[in-house]
Amino acid sequence: MATVNPAAATALCGFMLLSAAAGMVPARAQSTYKVAPPGVNAANIPGEPRVGPGEVTAAVEQIGSHPAHDDWPAYGRDTAATRFSPLEQITPQNAGQLTRAFVYHTGSKPAPGQANKWAAETTPIKVGDGLYMCTAMNDIVKLEPATGKEVWRHNVGVKYASIPYAAACKGVVYYTSSTVPEGQLCHNRILEGMLDMRLIEIDADTGKSCEGFGDHGQISLMKGMGEAAPGFVSMTAPPPIVNGAIVVNHQVLNGQRRWAPSGVIRGYDAETGKFLWAWDVNRPGDHSEPAEGQHYSRGTPNSWAPMTGDDALGLVYVPMGNSAVNYYSGMRSPEENRVSSAIVALDVKTGSPRWMFQTVHKDVWDYDVGSQPTMIDFPGQDGPVPALVVPTKRGQTFVLDRRDGKPILPVEERPVPVETDVKDDPRSPTQPWSVGMPRLGLPDLKESDMWGMSPIDQLFCRLQFRRAKYEGEFTAPSVDRPWIEFPGYNGGSDWGSVAYDARRGVLVANWNVTPVYQILTRRKADGLMPVDDPSFKAGGGAEGKGALADTPYGIMASPFWNRYTRLLCSKPPYGMITAIDMHTRKVLWQHPLGSARANGPWRIPTYLPLTIGTPNNGGPVITAGGVVFVGATTDNMLHAFDAANGKELWNDVLPGGGQATPMTYEYKGKQYVAIMAGGHHFMRTPVSDALVVYALPDNK
Amino acid sequence: MRHTMLGVVFLLERDRMAGLYRPRRASEWATCAVAVLLIVLGLPLVIMGTELALLGGSLYYILAGTAIIAGGILMLRGSVAGALLYLLAWLLTWPWALWEVGFDGWGLLPRLLGPTLIAVLVVLTIPVLRHLQKIAMAEKDIA
Repeated sequence: MATVNPAAATALCGFMLLSAAAGMVPARAQSTYKVAPPGVNAANIPGEPRVGPGEVTAAVEQIGSHPAHDDWPAYGRDTAATRFSPLEQITPQNAGQLTRAFVYHTGSKPAPGQANKWAAETTPIKVGDGLYMCTAMNDIVKLEPATGKEVWRHNVGVKYASIPYAAACKGVVYYTSSTVPEGQLCHNRILEGMLDMRLIEIDADTGKSCEGFGDHGQISLMKGMGEAAPGFVSMTAPPPIVNGAIVVNHQVLNGQRRWAPSGVIRGYDAETGKFLWAWDVNRPGDHSEPAEGQHYSRGTPNSWAPMTGDDALGLVYVPMGNSAVNYYSGMRSPEENRVSSAIVALDVKTGSPRWMFQTVHKDVWDYDVGSQPTMIDFPGQDGPVPALVVPTKRGQTFVLDRRDGKPILPVEERPVPVETDVKDDPRSPTQPWSVGMPRLGLPDLKESDMWGMSPIDQLFCRLQFRRAKYEGEFTAPSVDRPWIEFPGYNGGSDWGSVAYDARRGVLVANWNVTPVYQILTRRKADGLMPVDDPSFKAGGGAEGKGALADTPYGIMASPFWNRYTRLLCSKPPYGMITAIDMHTRKVLWQHPLGSARANGPWRIPTYLPLTIGTPNNGGPVITAGGVVFVGATTDNMLHAFDAANGKELWNDVLPGGGQATPMTYEYKGKQYVAIMAGGHHFMRTPVSDALVVYALPDNK
Repeated sequence: MRHTMLGVVFLLERDRMAGLYRPRRASEWATCAVAVLLIVLGLPLVIMGTELALLGGSLYYILAGTAIIAGGILMLRGSVAGALLYLLAWLLTWPWALWEVGFDGWGLLPRLLGPTLIAVLVVLTIPVLRHLQKIAMAEKDIA
């Protein structure tokens, strides 16, 4: 063997260290791993003294609030995140003729020898004559909308070590300056949050840095975060700009340690990059940056999903995740327990919560809110109500009044299982159900739902099912005996969220039916290490093993599958798509989403053109032409459905997994549909760097 | 059905003292292979099926596994009854599968596809087993 096995080397060194240290100091009580925060490493952004809450520069109206007919100027098309386009050229009648207009290669994929952690998840934006997008590693490009030719490219130099769970960049933000006149550099800007916790603004026309923003166009979001290993915290979602304030959230790697870096939400001036405020859950009332030598409160719930900004009410709706250490809530503060897995409406002037609505109480199921909430005018009896649609991983879709967070459709608190042998961590006796909306989910599992190719592997799964603790939804965790979580942490609805056609009052959602099999263990016995520990082995992350350091436990989580055949243990479908009439809250149509072509036992593609319903990640798009576009599935296809009845009109096999929300735009009289076929490492779909763009043939 | 059952019992009784047959022709080797296959597939059904039954789960697997192994052993001994026993288990699997999942195609797949493919193989062994039985009978008469 020519190479040294690094794992073996580490183990050997670790053993020698242990021997040397035996009897001297107690085993590592806290992380001793100190590194410079990664953002500073990457950009050499100088540190500055502590800043108190600031005043925002007056803003002008942004194009996202009233998008031009041809454009898709924001991640969710508009600031309301409807994913609805008024374009009508592509219709159910002609969608079958869609062909590739061009393919653009971003150049971002794993280099030889690098473990695949890629999941680009990118949705480009289109404004005027430019298609703007980020690569999975945060380089920003402007493309010609008709040809995909690169107009400019701005490389940002994010390092491989900064990749958290996945190299993802959901999108960039278009911003029009209130201080730089039209025609000058940085009047129109592209804003992006990066994996290594930098915020960057560049000129939309030239791709040059906006010198007036932060330090030569960048600010470091590691300021005040305290100790963190590269990849422990990172930005993957586009930050909304609300009345001149950039609101920034970030993901914190799941399941590592209780005292992980803070989940603080912060506001920055979109013109200057100046700090405005912080909302730090365990420092209520203090909206300043932490003093010298201190840091934002650690282990607090983080928000990683795209947020939604509401200029009219001056609010940002934050889909909150969990406190660090998802599967154990015994060490959370009352403040954390109030906001974890909730929607929190923050005042963008001050960073103070105006209201909050919790979707799961004392969440130990990783049911963080991963979906971007969508603003709609709810068709109420006495006229439209400003509403927020909140899809969840549980498949419960809450509809709230944006002004006060009160449910518009009824929410019931229902009793749930509370029996648990995690004695110091009692469960909430009830959980909320949105009973006025159709559930994006299937009934609880039973033994006969177990599946396989033959009676033998099916029996194996039935046995797994019976061995585990399962009392239906919200089965409480158990130690040393597996328990089944269903719906799993992939949803229901995950980050793809939903699309809403206000003209027809139709909501379209694609969602998952994928149970999770997990077991709490006593960590010390398993040698699980958090990401910031020197003996951490890469390959962990949000899924799989979690050290849950600083707690008595560790976690082993996996999809509920047969580890020999790699087939899921429950029967299909694993993914669905649903259209709901928001006037009547009735399901218009619903069917399994995705074919069996690229899936099969032992990960062998079957090439069966049968619709089985696959796991899916990435949202839907609705057009005024009456077509729904969705990629997302593990059959690596882009699908077009008739919005009226759900009939599949067209599909195309992509060069990689289509785990991204598609988008559509018109340029010089022609409608295009674009999807990033970047693949997703956890979904096991092929990685590629291709943005694939479709249009109708010219003679039509 | 009753007739078949009686037939199985009769054949079992008749073959009680007989040993394993010695395959000579290719078709006999193939029949032997099918019999071994049944035993190999039946074992995990019985082993895991026992645990499943003890955990309060379905009894189907332990029953089906037992029948399949018994069928395989009888076939190894050159008895048509072995094949018939498998086919009986296969036949009874259909109403069980429909009772569990109804007419859900994906649900029926693991329950019926494999067992049906094997049923085809088992049917093909019947003429061979018949022939073996005749020979055995003739040898007995001579003796």
